[in-house]
Amino acid sequence: MIFLFSVLCGLSYGMVLFLLAAGLSIVFGLMGIVNLAHGLMYMSAAYIGIIVAKLTGSFWVGLLAALVSSGLLGLIIERGLLRTLYREQLSQILVCFGLVYIITNLHLWAYGPYPKAAPVLPSVLSGSLTLGQFEFMHYRLAVIVVGALLCGFLFWAQERTKLGSIVRAGMDDPETVRALGINLMTINIGAFVFGSVLAGLAGYIGIPVIGGVVPTTGESVLFLGIAIIIIGGVGSVQGTLAGALLIGVGSSLSQSFYSPLAKFFIPLIMLLILIFRPGGLVYRK
Amino acid sequence: MHRMLTMKLLKNRLLLHALTILILLFLIVAPPFLGKDIINILMKILVFGLAAMALDLVFGYSGLWSFGHAGIFGVGAYTVCLLMWHFSVYNFWLLAIAGIVAAVVAAAIFASLGLRMRGLYFMLTTFALGELVAAMARTFRKITNGTDGIWPMRYPDLGFGITLSHTGLFYFVLVVVIISGIILFRITKSPFGYSLQSLAENEVRARTLGYNTQLRRFIAFLISGFFVGLAGVLYVYTNGGINPPDAGMATSGLLMILVILGGVGTIWGGLVGSAVMNLLNYFISIIIPARWPIFLGVVFILTIFFARGGLYPRIANACKKAIGYGNTEG
Repeated sequence: MIFLFSVLCGLSYGMVLFLLAAGLSIVFGLMGIVNLAHGLMYMSAAYIGIIVAKLTGSFWVGLLAALVSSGLLGLIIERGLLRTLYREQLSQILVCFGLVYIITNLHLWAYGPYPKAAPVLPSVLSGSLTLGQFEFMHYRLAVIVVGALLCGFLFWAQERTKLGSIVRAGMDDPETVRALGINLMTINIGAFVFGSVLAGLAGYIGIPVIGGVVPTTGESVLFLGIAIIIIGGVGSVQGTLAGALLIGVGSSLSQSFYSPLAKFFIPLIMLLILIFRPGGLVYRK
Repeated sequence: MHRMLTMKLLKNRLLLHALTILILLFLIVAPPFLGKDIINILMKILVFGLAAMALDLVFGYSGLWSFGHAGIFGVGAYTVCLLMWHFSVYNFWLLAIAGIVAAVVAAAIFASLGLRMRGLYFMLTTFALGELVAAMARTFRKITNGTDGIWPMRYPDLGFGITLSHTGLFYFVLVVVIISGIILFRITKSPFGYSLQSLAENEVRARTLGYNTQLRRFIAFLISGFFVGLAGVLYVYTNGGINPPDAGMATSGLLMILVILGGVGTIWGGLVGSAVMNLLNYFISIIIPARWPIFLGVVFILTIFFARGGLYPRIANACKKAIGYGNTEG
């Protein structure tokens, strides 16, 4: 039972991580930048979601606010800052990094250093399953389902739609894609904003799974996101999923069975991947 | 003709040299009359300047975007702190050798894992390894004292019964940093340094000319690791100790921005960038200490948008203009 319970917990954690890292991976593949501001979308969406949910008393309104706010933040960053540095990858990365300082400190200013707890869950999701002596929250189950559905959708979009093939082609050979008359700029904005919304979704639905949010959450989840794309490989849904689930389930299992390993699980896997399979589990090209 | 050109170049550099000598004179004469906090700021400028100059060797000259240099810096600093804390080793020379050796070993690991990849992947790898160092420092609480860090708060014991005072430490750091800067600068002007630039610009051509490009990058990274490690060793004394964030991504990013602010590929630019950033930090922190990160972020972004060429080349050019010579490069 403890095994099943840990796996399920790990799956729900892994799904949150998948949503977090998906945007990072797409943006890396398409625009060639490591979006160091990605964790900020996660964090700010979580904060805004919690506050709106508390004000309106509705989990769902909070969710909507989280999605909209993270999308807007992504749009502002892309249009306002990154666009003007077109194709200057290092500059774009460092601008994002500057934003980490600014937005983290603004959050500290606005919300204080103490963790904000998760909003009250709607009654549909608040029960739990009994697995032997463990209680598995329905909510976590819902997170797994939502994550799996979105993952399926993304995989379908990547492999079976025109947009997906444009995105894949854009990662491999942007020159040719542009020569075919496709406006990659629009695709980039779309991918950036979409990735931000996914991060916002992860931030909001992830609070009950991962725990309260503090102003340094942005940085810590950024590290998780980067660990995932290193482990899974960049630019594919499969890779991101593999990395996220490996980290999620692995951390959860090591927590249950051999806790000293838990703290060190992610760096260890990352190191092994860097040594034996640089490029990640699913290596494009 | 040649002589005239040399004369012109000499005159072009005159004002810059005069400025440098003035600053040096100030740094030599003033410390005994300065307050402890000002001396601390000056030492911080020098130590981070050294780390930034070392980063410039791989970042500016070899085209390697290392986002994990703070990790190497941290390895050097932590080695010193751990030896002091657990083994009560206080002799500066022993500690310095241990710290630098550890940093070079760390740099070798970073480089051997990272150099298999190029560009962004190199950056990701070094980022991950740097964070790994910070994570280790946070996690192994019994050894590293976790997030509290280790604070030996000591002055260097140079052996023969000599322990430096606060001002003495400043002069010591000044001399070490200037000598290191000169060595780094000479390296970039050596055949090895030019070959680094050539392989950053056109790898295929450099390889066709018979250079072992991979080995040269590796060596450049080790040299950089040596000086970053040295900066880490000095940091333990100037800062009083170290805690995990000093080895993490915030510091790595800071070093990168110092190089860009000062001027990529100029070596001395790192020192200029460090001076500007730390002085800004000092003055803004007097007014609103809690909001410094916001200013830091703004400086980051402004640097990227408006000062990408770096301040050092601009200062050098302005000096030339001021004495009536045109906007000559070099």
